[in-house]
Amino acid sequence: MAGLTFDHVTKTFAQGTVAVNDLSLQIAEGEFMILVGPSGCGKTTALRMVAGLESITSGRIVIGDRVINDVSPRDRDIAMVFQNYALYPHMTVAKNLAFGLRQRKAPKEEIDRRVGEIADMLGLEGLLKRRPAELSGGQRQRVAMGRALVREPKAFLLDEPLSNLDAKLRVAMRAELKRLHQRLEITTIHVTHDQVEAMTLGDRIAVMNEGALQQLGDPQEVYDRPANLFVAGFIGSPPMNMLRGVVSRGRIEAGDLAVERPSLPDGEVVVGVRPEAFLIAPDGAASTELTVEIVEPLGDEVLVHGSIGGEPARSGAELDEELLPLERGSRARITARLDPSARPSPGDRLPLRVAPERVYVFDARTGTALT
Amino acid sequence: MSAETLADRITWPEESNAASPRPRRWLPFSPWHLFLVPFSLLMLLPLIWMVVTSLQTQKESLVFPPTLVPKSLEFSNYAHALSAAPFGRWFLNTAIVTVAVVISNLLLCSLAGYAFARIRFFGREVTFLALMATLMVPFPVVMIPTFLIVKALGMFDSLAALIVPNLVNVFGIFMLRQFFRTLPVELEEAARIDGASRLSVLFKIVLPLSLPALATLAVIQFMWTWNDFLWPLIAIFSERNFTLQLGLTVFQTSHTTNWPLLMAGNVMTMIPMLVLFLAAQRFFIRGIATTGLKG
Amino acid sequence: MRIRRALASDHAIGWTFAGPAVLLVIVFGLVPIAWSFLLSFQRSNLIAPPRFTGLDNYRYLLKDPTFREAARHTLLYTGLFVPISVVGSLFVAIALNRKIWFVRFYRLAVFVPVVASTIATSFMFLWLFDSTYGLANFVLGKVGLGPFGFFDSTHDALYSIVAMTVWGWIGFDVIIYLAALQGVPRELIEAAEIDGAGRWSVFRNIIVPWLGPATLLLIVWSSINALQLFDEVYFVTHGGPLHSTYVLVFYLFTLAFTQGVAGYATAIAYVLFVAILILTIIQFWIGKKVVHYSS
Repeated sequence: MAGLTFDHVTKTFAQGTVAVNDLSLQIAEGEFMILVGPSGCGKTTALRMVAGLESITSGRIVIGDRVINDVSPRDRDIAMVFQNYALYPHMTVAKNLAFGLRQRKAPKEEIDRRVGEIADMLGLEGLLKRRPAELSGGQRQRVAMGRALVREPKAFLLDEPLSNLDAKLRVAMRAELKRLHQRLEITTIHVTHDQVEAMTLGDRIAVMNEGALQQLGDPQEVYDRPANLFVAGFIGSPPMNMLRGVVSRGRIEAGDLAVERPSLPDGEVVVGVRPEAFLIAPDGAASTELTVEIVEPLGDEVLVHGSIGGEPARSGAELDEELLPLERGSRARITARLDPSARPSPGDRLPLRVAPERVYVFDARTGTALT
Repeated sequence: MSAETLADRITWPEESNAASPRPRRWLPFSPWHLFLVPFSLLMLLPLIWMVVTSLQTQKESLVFPPTLVPKSLEFSNYAHALSAAPFGRWFLNTAIVTVAVVISNLLLCSLAGYAFARIRFFGREVTFLALMATLMVPFPVVMIPTFLIVKALGMFDSLAALIVPNLVNVFGIFMLRQFFRTLPVELEEAARIDGASRLSVLFKIVLPLSLPALATLAVIQFMWTWNDFLWPLIAIFSERNFTLQLGLTVFQTSHTTNWPLLMAGNVMTMIPMLVLFLAAQRFFIRGIATTGLKG
Repeated sequence: MRIRRALASDHAIGWTFAGPAVLLVIVFGLVPIAWSFLLSFQRSNLIAPPRFTGLDNYRYLLKDPTFREAARHTLLYTGLFVPISVVGSLFVAIALNRKIWFVRFYRLAVFVPVVASTIATSFMFLWLFDSTYGLANFVLGKVGLGPFGFFDSTHDALYSIVAMTVWGWIGFDVIIYLAALQGVPRELIEAAEIDGAGRWSVFRNIIVPWLGPATLLLIVWSSINALQLFDEVYFVTHGGPLHSTYVLVFYLFTLAFTQGVAGYATAIAYVLFVAILILTIIQFWIGKKVVHYSS
């Protein structure tokens, strides 16, 4: 077991695209680190560089105390679970599991023992004689994990291992992964585009965008104190509501909302409010009024989509195909998470307020969080 | 991945980006060239030697060790070959037969292939199976009865004998049926709802989308027919009805040691096929790859 | 009512489309197959009406020494041609499956021989392998081998034909293997590398099994074609010298069209057919056990 370090790692492809830009990251021994971000953000490339499947353009990657830049994948003592599992189609499950150990010329008894243990741990005992083509998606995924774990590697790399599973299975496997990690304590890097997965699984998460590290921290920290606009908009579901605002003489004004924050310098800002930060205000204490358009009951709470006074802003974390365009002009579409007792319906006007400390402020030009 | 896209990729194989210990380069180029250059030369040597010989005089050729570079370029060998044997006539015969067979196959295999692919008709499955079964039977088994049939129909010793039995090649039906099934059926359904007849759908929608497959079939059928030997040997008797391949055999027996002349004749018969190959390489390769990947 | 009419017309259209092709295949495919079977129980010289002779032809076949000789040669030829071309083409395909300079040229060089007709190829080699003036003896002499009699020597003739046909057909196998090699999923190789496999181990454990289906196909296809060797024998050696290249199809051709013993020839053809069928089934059966890919 060993810690893993990215030291100013950059990857530029032949055509000139910079896939990973000066990534520096330290992963402690036994830690479960998540790399999360939209597709194309460089997370998979970073993972593949650790595996040795991509060469490193500049910078170093260190595993334990060894710089592994020029070490070929087979000598790095790492293991990887591919998104499509990449199981050897012509070998039985048992042979798949044993392959890595056989390559290292381990003695037969040890191979049998370790394969048996892993099969037990992952519930694969009954499947050992089958071939991948005869297995279900979930079973294949477990075999892929088993194949990686049986070698007791220094680092365990996962490339979107849960993306190909159907929703229910995904949730079950998430818990399974967490349980496995607690038991085996292997240094793990898990790449995903699903921020829910990132939040639930990681000891720490590294949010990436366009090749660069946006923020590093434990899930709650990243959620509560996003370092920039992108992280704020990316983490959290439904995403944080964004409004254009102006700070003048220590006072933020964004549409209907106004908050005193004396430490802030004057200038244009983006103001962010999470859906759950909106509360139904008793008369008089309302900061703004929400014109309700769509109501989505979730049982224990209700998601209310509507518009308030204010100008909409983008966080940079939106998907390209934004379903509902932001309204132009003096109203902004927002989402609020409210108590179902309010029983809102389309057309209602709900008075809402926000606790001032739950308002996030970001520099409109750089996106950095301002406190 | 479909056989077609796979065949297209053969031009550009991929290499990995993987990390590796700094390679030690003994040579300024990949060591594989050390094998590939001599090997390619070996492959091309008979052809090169054929051309070299065709430009020598007969005296020059009958020496040992052989003269590798002709003293003068005797293009006259080609003129002599053309007058020594009716190559022009043979070329015409081969061309007529090949073109007729290719066109007929494109037409009939498209019709039949489409019917088997998209139209539900009584006895479809059984008939298709029966057709496929004929693919399993080697030619020597059927050549004698086919000869008798051709004789009975009065076609013996005519170009018709070479054309009619080959108007349809079952392999073509199979190939096009497979291909048609890969096209989205919604396109044809939309056309039919718009009022098009089945024939229109085939000719206006399906075939235009099938040009690569049709080109491949055409090219393969062309090669098979142009190069065919055994059947023409059986079906044709008079020299004036020979195909090029048959013509070569008598040409060889009548000029046994005049190698430059013989090679000139051989070169001339090979040129059409080589030209077609260079022009349509893609389709040849695709054709081979599809044959392989289907089964 | 309207629906039934529409369906009925689908049957009509289906048969209209497929009809001409099916008719042609019946006349020139199925009928000859059946007729052939009948013919094998008859005595015919292709001119006079045939006489029914029961199992005589087959009984004679069991004792016929020429048949045995031809069968021996055919099997020897097949036993050499198939392994050499399949294994050789794998190696060549691996060499061609990389992104190096001139790879397009190398590919072309391997494939051009396939396009040349059997006769043209035979012609080239007749000259190349000429025992007195041919280039082959000259080149081989330079490396201390030979001189060989090639087609003039009873000892060398069959092997010379093996060399010639391997040259002519290896390109086909290479294309099939290239297509298969290009289909190996990159991730599979990456996973194996991470698992600690070196280049040879990756080749043995990942690539070779992946090539299983292609290899099986090539073995079956090559065997079927090798067992039916004819054109080259007819043109180059005519079965000689001293019957050393006498093969089955050549035998039955001579029987039917030179000696007028068509009934017996057909019996031989049918035996060849059954042999091919059995061999193919055996090969597929072995293949099923060894090849573990379901696509």
